[in-house]
Amino acid sequence: MTNQLVYIVDDDDAMRDSLQWLLESQGFAVTAYASAEDFLAACRDGMAGCIVLDVRMPGMSGLELYEKLNSRQCTLPVIFITGHGDVPMAVSALKKGAVDFIEKPFSDKEMLRLIGQCLELDRANREKRQQTEAVARRLASLTEREVEVMDLILAGKLNKQVADILNISIKTVEVHRSRIMDKMEVRAVAELVQAVMRGRQ
Amino acid sequence: MRMNTESTASQRNWVWSIPYVAIGIFALAMLALVWGLQKRETDLQYDALGRDVQWAEQTMRLHMQGAQDYLAQMARELAEGKLDRGAFQVRATQYLANTPELANIVWVDSGQIIRWTAPFETTDWIAGERLAGAQPASFARALTSGQPTYGESYVNHRGAALLEVYVPVQYGRTYLGALVGVYTIEAMVRHLVPGWFGEKYSLSIVDAAGQVLASNTTVTPADDALSYAIDFDPPGNGLALRAKAFRTDSGVARVVPLFLVVGLTLVVVWSLWALRSHFQRRVKVEKERDRLFNLSLDMLCIAGMDGSFRRVNPAFGRVLGYSAEEITGKPLLDYVHPDDLAAVVDALRQLAAGQPVSFEKRWRAADGRYRWLLWAINPVPEERLLYAVAHDITDRREDEEKLKSAFAFRKAMGESLVTGLRAIDLEGRIIFVNPAFCRMLGWSEQELLGLRPPFPYWPPEEAEQLRRDLEQTLAGQAPQGGYEMRIMRRDGHRFDVRMYLSPLIDSEGSQLGWMASMNDITEPKRVRAELEASHERFVAVLDGLDTAVYVADVENDEILYANHAFKNLYGFDAVGRNCWQVTTACHPERSDFQSDPQRLGLDAVPSELFDGEIRHQLSGRWFHLRDRAIRWVDGRVVRMEIAADITERRQMEEAALQHQDRLEQTSRLITMGEMASSLAHELNQPLSAIANYCMGSVNRLKSGDYRREDILAAMEKASAQAERAGKIIRRTREFVKKSAPVRAPVALADIVEEAIGFADIEARKAAAALRVDIPPELPPVFADRIMIEQVVLNLVKNGIEAMQQTPADERELSVTARLDGGDMVEVAVTDRGCGMTEAQAERIFDPFFTSKAEGMGMGLNICRSIIEYHGGRLWAQPNAQGGSVFRFTLPTHSPLTLAGEGPGERAIGTES
Repeated sequence: MTNQLVYIVDDDDAMRDSLQWLLESQGFAVTAYASAEDFLAACRDGMAGCIVLDVRMPGMSGLELYEKLNSRQCTLPVIFITGHGDVPMAVSALKKGAVDFIEKPFSDKEMLRLIGQCLELDRANREKRQQTEAVARRLASLTEREVEVMDLILAGKLNKQVADILNISIKTVEVHRSRIMDKMEVRAVAELVQAVMRGRQ
Repeated sequence: MRMNTESTASQRNWVWSIPYVAIGIFALAMLALVWGLQKRETDLQYDALGRDVQWAEQTMRLHMQGAQDYLAQMARELAEGKLDRGAFQVRATQYLANTPELANIVWVDSGQIIRWTAPFETTDWIAGERLAGAQPASFARALTSGQPTYGESYVNHRGAALLEVYVPVQYGRTYLGALVGVYTIEAMVRHLVPGWFGEKYSLSIVDAAGQVLASNTTVTPADDALSYAIDFDPPGNGLALRAKAFRTDSGVARVVPLFLVVGLTLVVVWSLWALRSHFQRRVKVEKERDRLFNLSLDMLCIAGMDGSFRRVNPAFGRVLGYSAEEITGKPLLDYVHPDDLAAVVDALRQLAAGQPVSFEKRWRAADGRYRWLLWAINPVPEERLLYAVAHDITDRREDEEKLKSAFAFRKAMGESLVTGLRAIDLEGRIIFVNPAFCRMLGWSEQELLGLRPPFPYWPPEEAEQLRRDLEQTLAGQAPQGGYEMRIMRRDGHRFDVRMYLSPLIDSEGSQLGWMASMNDITEPKRVRAELEASHERFVAVLDGLDTAVYVADVENDEILYANHAFKNLYGFDAVGRNCWQVTTACHPERSDFQSDPQRLGLDAVPSELFDGEIRHQLSGRWFHLRDRAIRWVDGRVVRMEIAADITERRQMEEAALQHQDRLEQTSRLITMGEMASSLAHELNQPLSAIANYCMGSVNRLKSGDYRREDILAAMEKASAQAERAGKIIRRTREFVKKSAPVRAPVALADIVEEAIGFADIEARKAAAALRVDIPPELPPVFADRIMIEQVVLNLVKNGIEAMQQTPADERELSVTARLDGGDMVEVAVTDRGCGMTEAQAERIFDPFFTSKAEGMGMGLNICRSIIEYHGGRLWAQPNAQGGSVFRFTLPTHSPLTLAGEGPGERAIGTES
């Protein structure tokens, strides 16, 4: 994905600058921030990519920032950079759901691998979210009657049975059914079941 | 005077008899009067009776006259023949019915033959019979006289007294016979007088012989009843009518006045007698009073309200020399001493107001001298009189004056005494206490006098013993040496006294009680007790020592005193033996003494003889021996040796030395470890950056998509980071290199600057501000630079860590220094962190105490060791603004020369 960014948050100038240099050499788009506060100010909903976060920073620490992001329901994957002796802190971050941590000094390969992993995760996350949103949108476009008919179909009823239950003609049921298939953009009942399951989560 | 009294007495008796005589006469007169009145009343009654009887007789006679007339009428009709037998019956019977006193009417013819009778059924008179008894005589007398004639009364066979009247029947001169009316005398008495008469009197008819023929009542009046008799004629013949009055007034009524008179008389006599005896008593009392008045030694007088004498007794003459006549009527004020005049006038005014007064004033006697008189005057306002008594107190006042001065003298004497005096009577009651006694106890004299045991100054806990002592005293068995007792002040304070007792004898030689003298012996007793206590303390202290002490004579080396510890060591029979023999195993040689004690004079002692450590040859223990020449209690010079067992101390010192070595070794290891850790951390940053720059460049070069300037810039940056790493390593090497402590004068500011350089990264990470304030004029401190640097770094890092929870804008850590007393510099590391509790403040310097998750608890302990090694001090205290202050001091110069450095320094030095 071309629109994905790597966000670096580190207070050490040399560290920040050198990491950006390294990542750009591998073709990643990079934005760097000197403090957690700066990043938080720039943080938007539509961001895509991952965050490389120094655990120890003056002011707001990496962990605090991570907790803030979680509370904002930002789903960007996070890689923590930890110094000597910060391992217990990183472990507690992992337990809170951060993707990974990497201890200084780190090898470039390890770092690049982690970033690649994170971007992939981010992409998958967003795709899944988009699909779910689409199904939900389609479900919302169904009329009330169509929802009734669809529920009965999902329950495994035949057209005739549906007609009997709703006290309508089989023809009408068939019309509803084809409309539902169109609106939900599925071709078979099995697909419909999948879509509805995803959309109603 | 006696004669006079007797004559007046008889005269008085005569006077007293007059009332009795008068009362007798009065009583007799009264009796006569009563008798006269009663007599007169009886006469009146008799007269009334007479009149009533005469009236009754007249009434009866009238009735009988009526009957006689009727019979005469019938006789005439009979004579004229107008009356036949039948008519006679009718008329006679009719008449008889109307006249109850008539029993029968009978016609007797001249032949004295009874012809007709009425009523015809009567059996007393039977027709055809002749008159009998005295009847014919009466019949004949009637015919003879031609007048109705009454016959003799008689009693018939039925016992009824009857009287007959004969009325002659005459025709012309011819006597045809007579009509006889027979009266029943009883009926006469009953029917011929009215009823009221019968109620008042008993009326009876008596014949000439005095025999009662009939009476109107069966009630017989009393014999002495009032009676009146009158001849009843006709019928005559000696008949009499007698009335007796029923007594209407009772005898009592007649007697009452009599008794009243007698009774009242007796009462009057009695009351008179009582009055007389009362009067006699009064007279006697008055006489006694007069005698007293005259005999009194005190002057008695009665004066008017105006103050003039009315009556005075002879004592005035005796005391003041005035005769009664001379003074009577004179105003009392004339005799008052001019100086007292105002007071007496005042007293008179009070008297006039009705208040009794009493005063002592001077009065002029007839000889011109003044005498003191004590006056008591009572006013009686209703009589406008003053009753006064005066007592001559001149002598008493003189005595009093003398007594007063004597008393004042005695009192002054008594008050100056410090010995308490107390007298009790034979029953134990307090009769005298002196001021010293009161002062001792705190009770006043008034409160104590008259008290009986138990006395208030007896402490409750001693009361039983004191009571026994008192009983012994009262029994006369008080010990010669007196009692030693504990008594109580009023405020409850107890103190000891000694009390001596002696009998109290009055002027007549009889014992009044017991006099006790009491001395406060609290102070002497206390001094003695303190001496004893101090001796005991001295012995207890010496015996309580685990240091052996003995004293030996310097001349003959005999042990004079040995304490418990010494005896424990060398045997309990040590005293009196030769000291060298006893202490063979452990004693200094005589030659080691600084001076020969035998040559020391008293003016040279105390002086030190020996001070050293000697090993006991038998037990192998070490003793610290000190020998001194001192002056003994009896004045001679003796040698005192003190031997303290220092074996443990020596062992401990050795152990401590080893411990210190180990500690410092550990400290160094820890310091190195920390340094390594710090180094690794520091190096991470530049090394990571270098790696990043390099790999970034490599990647670009590989791909061929690069700009030369970019690569160049990155390489330069990498080079700069390498330089940064180099600096870190250099600094660390310097730190490690100087591990052998070298103390030298060094500027404190340099040390602190270097330490802050290390701590800077930490501080930045923790967002804490570091402030350093070292005055440039501070003298250099004498210290090992690296070690002190480590201490400062440690304290600063601790401070930063402590401020993790502090709000970011308050995280300030300051390092300040100041001169402390000229040869020390005090450094303070102040943080605004969480501070510490008191308990923590006590323990933070202990090894292995830590408040940090990853600390080993060695940091502060080592810091303190380092500072103390430098001869300074490290301590912590709370910061007034919150947080803690760690302070340590360092000397500005070495107290010893470099050659004299302590063993600790050597230990550290050899270790590196």
